[in-house]
Amino acid sequence: MEPRKKQAHVVSAFRRTVIIALVVAGATLTLAQTAERPPVKIGFMVPLSGANAQNGRDILNGFLLLLEETGYQAGGRKIELIVEDDEGIPAVGLTKARKLIERDGVHMMGGALLTSTGYALAPYIESQGIPMVYPVVSADDLTQRRRAKWIIRTGYTGSQPNHPFGEYAYNTLKLRTVATIALDYGFGWESVGGFRRTFEEQGGRITQSLWAPLSIHDFAPYLAQISRDVDAVYALFLGRTALQFVRQYEEYGLKGRVQLIGMGTTTDEHVLPAMGDEAIGVITALHYSGALENPANRKFAAAYRARYKRVPSYYSESMYTGGKWVLAAIDAVKGNVEDRNALLEGLRNARPTDLPRGPVVLDEYGNPIENIYVRRVERVNGVLQNTVIATLPNVSQFWKYNPAEYLKQPLYAR
Amino acid sequence: MTPACLALDNVSRHFGGLKAVDKVNLIVQPGERRAVIGPNGAGKTTLFNVISGEVRASEGTIALFGDDVTKLAPHQRAVRGMARTFQITKLFPNLTVMENVLLACEAQDPRRFTMHRPMSSCVDLERRAEALLAQFGLGTFAHDTAKNLSYGVQRKLEVALSMAGRPRLLLLDEPMAGLSSGESESMLAILRNLDSAVAVLLIEHDMDIAFAFAERVTVLYQGRVLTDGHKDEVSANRTVQDIYLGSPIAE
Amino acid sequence: MDAANLPSNVLRGWRRPVFYALAVLLVVGPPFLSTYWVGLLTQMVILAILAMSLDILLGYTGLPSLGHAAFFGVAAYAVAVLATRYQLGFWTCVLGGIMIGTLCSAAIGLIVSHVRDVYFLMITLAIGMVLWGLSNRWIPMTGGDNGLAGIPRLETHAGLPFAGPIPFYYVTLLVFAVSAGIMALLVRSPFGLTLRGVRESESRMKSLGFNTWLHCYLSFVISGVFASVAGVMWAYYNGFVSPTYLDLTASSELFLMVTLGGPATLVGPVIGAGAIVLLKNVISAYTARWLLILGIVYIVAILGAPQGLWNLGRSKRT
Ligand SMILES: Nc1ncnc2c1ncn2[C@@H]1O[C@H](COP(=O)(O)OP(=O)(O)OP(=O)(O)O)[C@@H](O)[C@H]1O
Ligand SMILES: [Mg+2]
Repeated sequence: MEPRKKQAHVVSAFRRTVIIALVVAGATLTLAQTAERPPVKIGFMVPLSGANAQNGRDILNGFLLLLEETGYQAGGRKIELIVEDDEGIPAVGLTKARKLIERDGVHMMGGALLTSTGYALAPYIESQGIPMVYPVVSADDLTQRRRAKWIIRTGYTGSQPNHPFGEYAYNTLKLRTVATIALDYGFGWESVGGFRRTFEEQGGRITQSLWAPLSIHDFAPYLAQISRDVDAVYALFLGRTALQFVRQYEEYGLKGRVQLIGMGTTTDEHVLPAMGDEAIGVITALHYSGALENPANRKFAAAYRARYKRVPSYYSESMYTGGKWVLAAIDAVKGNVEDRNALLEGLRNARPTDLPRGPVVLDEYGNPIENIYVRRVERVNGVLQNTVIATLPNVSQFWKYNPAEYLKQPLYAR
Repeated sequence: MTPACLALDNVSRHFGGLKAVDKVNLIVQPGERRAVIGPNGAGKTTLFNVISGEVRASEGTIALFGDDVTKLAPHQRAVRGMARTFQITKLFPNLTVMENVLLACEAQDPRRFTMHRPMSSCVDLERRAEALLAQFGLGTFAHDTAKNLSYGVQRKLEVALSMAGRPRLLLLDEPMAGLSSGESESMLAILRNLDSAVAVLLIEHDMDIAFAFAERVTVLYQGRVLTDGHKDEVSANRTVQDIYLGSPIAE
Repeated sequence: MDAANLPSNVLRGWRRPVFYALAVLLVVGPPFLSTYWVGLLTQMVILAILAMSLDILLGYTGLPSLGHAAFFGVAAYAVAVLATRYQLGFWTCVLGGIMIGTLCSAAIGLIVSHVRDVYFLMITLAIGMVLWGLSNRWIPMTGGDNGLAGIPRLETHAGLPFAGPIPFYYVTLLVFAVSAGIMALLVRSPFGLTLRGVRESESRMKSLGFNTWLHCYLSFVISGVFASVAGVMWAYYNGFVSPTYLDLTASSELFLMVTLGGPATLVGPVIGAGAIVLLKNVISAYTARWLLILGIVYIVAILGAPQGLWNLGRSKRT
């Protein structure tokens, strides 16, 4: 009896040990798993080579700055950023997206600069069901007639700054006749289209619309054509073409005779430091300015300048701000990024604050409602900057129109 | 009366100032065997080129089997029943001997446009090709690549290709040049065995061969027909003897 | 494809085991691969059809086209336009794509079949550029630089009961097998022999009585048909078309696939297509200078295997 009892005791002690061991092991494993949850993978692509490499680099730099500030950490998980160069070619972008999603298994995507790449990626992103943030691509229809469930835009639509700017030009700048000259592609058409609509609704008149090919190298023939008896010339250029246009505008004796206004990219900080006095006085509209006076932007601009020795452009700000949506979404799902639907919800419902460009909320189409700034180029302390002369608050992509009515009309075209 | 196989009326061909062929009149009757002789540069090959269409006539008209072909392309003349060989061998170098001959056999066959079955299923074409190879003693080379053949064998293939389409007019440009005497003999035998309805024009430098093969001889000199007639008349002609037979050019 | 349909010495020596190994791999491999690799394999197989179509022209007929990607692109655009702009059904899109690509090659063939060698190269290059320009500038139809996106998935468009990368792959493989079988039969046919005849000695062909213009023309159109088939598959695979797919780079890459793999073998260009897709995707993941690397690979291959990989250790062409 005794030995049997003893034996029973031994068994129960053994059983207890086993149970404890199991619990400990289980706990360790669980703990280990929580501690070593694999990083959240974010796929990111912009042009890092080719004609648009600098803009792509700016976008990436803004994102890197944000990730450094937050320690590559969100929702309790490490963040691993996988960067690809889409070369500014849509087909390459698509190939890179396949690689990022299917091979690297990223949980989320960000990037794209060009409208063409944006349109190319959209159906693929939709078919894969991976949330993606477009910080820059501005094609109106991506959040209008051809909106994608899995893509949100934290930038703007081409016509968005131009709707209020058209009214501002008529009512505040007192312009009555305007000639436009813009790059001949979607971004140009949509921007000019937005400006023309509100400007003409107010009673102004676009007397002339010139379109320059993307490959343009000399504006002489265009500047010769531009009529001198308008109140202003509206110009939309970027990069090399912006530098060249603004310079030739002065060389042709137009500066000082006809006010130059335009889309914000024409004097954006990605080209402004390379411009001279010819740029002074140009008035443009955009949802950001490097010289924007608010605490968040002062902090951002200083950090950016310290880190990259450059003034931040709107491209730089785009993914610093867009990245906040990414981080907020990861936080919202507590790092559980494998639940893609929840992650997408997190993105759409994110409300980041303290943004360099001012307050932003996404509309139900996935496009920001944000301030538009009218900026005039001035030289301050020896440096050119886009001084904000007016803030047009909370501008929606539909301006003051009814979205349903708005969407029934065709996309702005040439 | 059946029309002449070939009728040249005042045909000339100029290369710049050079009159390579100069106002040549020539009639070849069905079944005729004629040799064309003349010193180097006399214009014999050019004459063949003009007849076959490789080179356009500068003036004059050419009739094949009664039809004016002056303006027709080489293949349009070939399908009328004319074939030729080239002084400088022109084969399909990277194809096998068999494929070379098969190509020649299908040239005038509607199956040249057949795409849906392999060549090997065209049994009769292969038979014809094999027979032709046998006729020229090329059977053992059937699966060799043409460019790897010896010169003599290539010359035989050159002639074999021209005969595959069963032409009624055959232009042979020095087919025996470069062959050993044994090879020449067998070639001559093949030529002699040709259907008597086929008219043959033979350019040949070797007088013995030329005279052994042909009844009639045309002598070209500086692009012109010097004389044209039965071989006995021609060999008796003083001028011919002077400029050709007696000269060292005759070798 | 059926080995019996290939010219016998295309499969001589080491080529036979390699050929069968590759065939088996293509058939049984995909279920064991990740979707990324299935996607790459699908690309390879589609571009293999395209490369074989150029092989008919370049390898067999000896006509070096530098604009061949144009027909591929035209067919892909046709599918995109028909499917997205006009919302037409599957078979209309497929047949429309093949027909428009073919008609395009039939029209262009009328011009280019008259010239040879470097002139052929130049004129096909020029025409390829014109079509590329058209895809770029005919914005209302092609969307210009933005391309056309939103082509439906083949499985849903065709109403197939299954969907996903693997079913799509097998559909592609079937199209590939049928195309390859037809092309393999074609090059062994009496007509196929005439193409090689044109390549070897066109003037001899003429004096034998062949209308070589017609043979070149037919070769051009036939290769246009298969390029179109590849273009249609590409449109469905990619879901997106843009001018990049018919530009000079695309055509030269295609040219490379054929010459690298081994012209006039059909199998070689398939391998060339596979190799280039692989290099492009794998190397580009590590370096942006993949074109440079591809160039080096090509130079090495030219020095090591001037007749192309599939002709390694063989002096004669077939
Ligand atoms: N394509 C050409 N362009 C210019 N001159 C040519 C051309 N073809 C032939 N000739 C010239 O025409 C003349 C006749 O040449 P052809 O080849 O017809 O002579 P041939 O009688 O065949 O001589 P051979 O016995 O040497 O073969 C030569 O002077 C030759 O240089
Ligand atoms: Mg001669």
